[in-house]
Amino acid sequence: MNLNNPYFALNRRRWMQAASLGSAGMAANMSKISLIGQPAFAEQLQRSGKNVILLWLAGGASQLETWDPKPGRLTGGPFATTKTCIPGIEISELLPRMASRLHRTAIIRSLNTKIADHGQAYELMDTGRTKEPGVAYPHLGAVIAHQLAAIDSKVPDYVEMYTSTEGRRKGTAGYLGARFNPMFLTESMIPDNLTRQKSIEDVDHLDRADLQHFLSKSFRHRQGNLAVDSHATAYQRVRGLMASDYLFDIDREPQSMRDHYGPTQFGEQCLIARRLVESGVPFVKVARAWWDSHGQNFETHQELCADLDYVMSALLDDLEQRGMLDRTLVISLGEFGRTPQINGSLGRDHFAQAWSCTLSGCGIRGGTVYGKTDDDGRTVVDGEIDAGDLFATIFKALGIDIDQEFMLGSRPIPIVDFGSKPVLEVLA
Amino acid sequence: MIDATDRDPKKFRRVREVKAADILLSIALHPNRSTVLLGSSDANVYELDLTSDGTERLKLSGAGHRSYVTGIVAVGSRAISCGYDGQLVWWDLESREALLAIPAHKKWIRRVVAMPNGKYVVSVADDMFCRVWDIESGEMIVELSGHSAMTPHHFPSMLYAVAVSPDGQWIATGDRVGHVAVWDTSTWSKVSTLEAPILYTWDPKARRHSIGGIRSLAFSPDGSVLAVGGTGKINNIDHLDGRPRLELFDWRVGNRIHEYEDDTCKGIIEQIDWIPGTDWLMITGGDHKGFLTVFDTQTKKALHHEGTNGHIHAMTWDSEAQALFLAAHERTEMWSWS
Repeated sequence: MNLNNPYFALNRRRWMQAASLGSAGMAANMSKISLIGQPAFAEQLQRSGKNVILLWLAGGASQLETWDPKPGRLTGGPFATTKTCIPGIEISELLPRMASRLHRTAIIRSLNTKIADHGQAYELMDTGRTKEPGVAYPHLGAVIAHQLAAIDSKVPDYVEMYTSTEGRRKGTAGYLGARFNPMFLTESMIPDNLTRQKSIEDVDHLDRADLQHFLSKSFRHRQGNLAVDSHATAYQRVRGLMASDYLFDIDREPQSMRDHYGPTQFGEQCLIARRLVESGVPFVKVARAWWDSHGQNFETHQELCADLDYVMSALLDDLEQRGMLDRTLVISLGEFGRTPQINGSLGRDHFAQAWSCTLSGCGIRGGTVYGKTDDDGRTVVDGEIDAGDLFATIFKALGIDIDQEFMLGSRPIPIVDFGSKPVLEVLA
Repeated sequence: MIDATDRDPKKFRRVREVKAADILLSIALHPNRSTVLLGSSDANVYELDLTSDGTERLKLSGAGHRSYVTGIVAVGSRAISCGYDGQLVWWDLESREALLAIPAHKKWIRRVVAMPNGKYVVSVADDMFCRVWDIESGEMIVELSGHSAMTPHHFPSMLYAVAVSPDGQWIATGDRVGHVAVWDTSTWSKVSTLEAPILYTWDPKARRHSIGGIRSLAFSPDGSVLAVGGTGKINNIDHLDGRPRLELFDWRVGNRIHEYEDDTCKGIIEQIDWIPGTDWLMITGGDHKGFLTVFDTQTKKALHHEGTNGHIHAMTWDSEAQALFLAAHERTEMWSWS
């Protein structure tokens, strides 16, 4: 077997711990393992049932028109601020519904990620570190799926919805292996090829699966590498994934719930996201493109913030009412923010020196603001963090051990970038 | 008043430029002095003499605006400004102080224009109402409604443009999705609607939001033709990347009698003025830069183009229509026919 496979390396460690205590039913019965006090399993159990919905504000939303307004400054633009339900905290008037729900949300106003080019910034905010030749870093969704997915899960581990074409890029599991690549939905919200072909009877389909399993079993033992394992695992999960197609069908929701999320595509996708995490999908990314407002920034944000405010608040309300918010982390994030300087087209350009994101729900101390920018929003003056720190914060909020390492060959790779530290101030 | 024969569009030139740190969004000629009134992105109203060498702007004082000042008109000894704070503010031009501020609309006010009778001003705002106000008392005379609050794609719409015919009989209003309404001021009823859908670009695939809208309206001197301005279809709506687009309507019949896209520049038409004493239009606006185009409504051809360094948001003429003053991105300019 390839012991350098990082996915295997982690699970091998757990297996060895369990085996040393004579427990043979490791994967099948986690509760028994936790009772015998194994730290690794206790940690996994603590994480179990947790999940993430990432609201990806593709193209780069303006922090000045959302979470870090600068009223009364020339850089601040025309919008006023609104008070929130947390005394002393104000956000843009474009987010009135979120203002009344800020007790569930922490705002980070001090991201300095330095890279203001779409492609490179995407890479950075997808992986939490700068690109390195020869290392295929997994995207956030893949790492979280790897950490939170049940081994015998019948539902997808990682789903991405990215309908707009601008800036669309598929997530990757990198060195974690194909098992954690996303189910990537673009044109349709119903996954392609998920239903059994009508020409094949169900019993035939089952027979084919049995035959495939029989033939691949010995092959896997002989080859024992990541690609073969991932391939086999994917086959084993086919039936479960086929049975999960109903999760993507929002027609199964009552009209009142569809109304709750509103008529926009972003609303419908977030409703699907809620259905997915409710059924155990650990990570769902909903991309809302495209915020790249080089011209007419204020008009663009009037449209897109209205969508974000309505849908994000609806999602948080729904998760809370279902008792899911304490185990679901909702992140709003893009690849960067926008310049404080307003250009001649009343637009804002790319800006990565001082921008914002939010974390809500699971593991988060709501109603907090971390970090501060100067009066014009040009620089971070307090609490500067980078992408690695943000990833460490996200993992910590989910109970994921940020000190763990993946083994890539003989090279240990920490789950977060070297030196990254979580923002403890926003953690519950 | 000089006539068209005294004006050679090719000699139209910039004679003065005053740079600034703020964005100048609106402009009006002071009725009694050779100065202009400027509405700024810093929420102030200023007075500036562009006919002299001075560059100092005098700030009007008092309880004014709290956001961008997007429109200003001067009538007699008063000026009335509007802003994105939803307020109309009355100013005394002698004392340069605010007299009255009223919460006129619940959303951004885009424009304010004066009726020719000197009694009323008309405002349009993103609450999708057009409201007529008594200049003397500040009271609302009437509210004109009918523009949809939401776009077909479930986003808030915007009511950008308003114009009054020279005889005061008609008011035209234009919105984000390219819908124009014409109102009769004797009955305050809607008498005509027009559609200019090319001025609104909805991107359903790449970026999933919209850009554009009717940004400017102007009646011809006899009131029979309505000029409608904005920007043409845009492929990449990250930028103001379309051609400035003008449509001329015989609005009583409802016919579009001409459409024109300026292929010498890009951007949006912020304002259209029928140049007094001529059949020409002065068209202005821009993307990150500005443009001025003299357009002949008889030959349906552009007579002259000029580019400027900053997006032009508004313009006004001196009393003889010899000089043109521009409110632009981080600058104010004065242009002349000679």
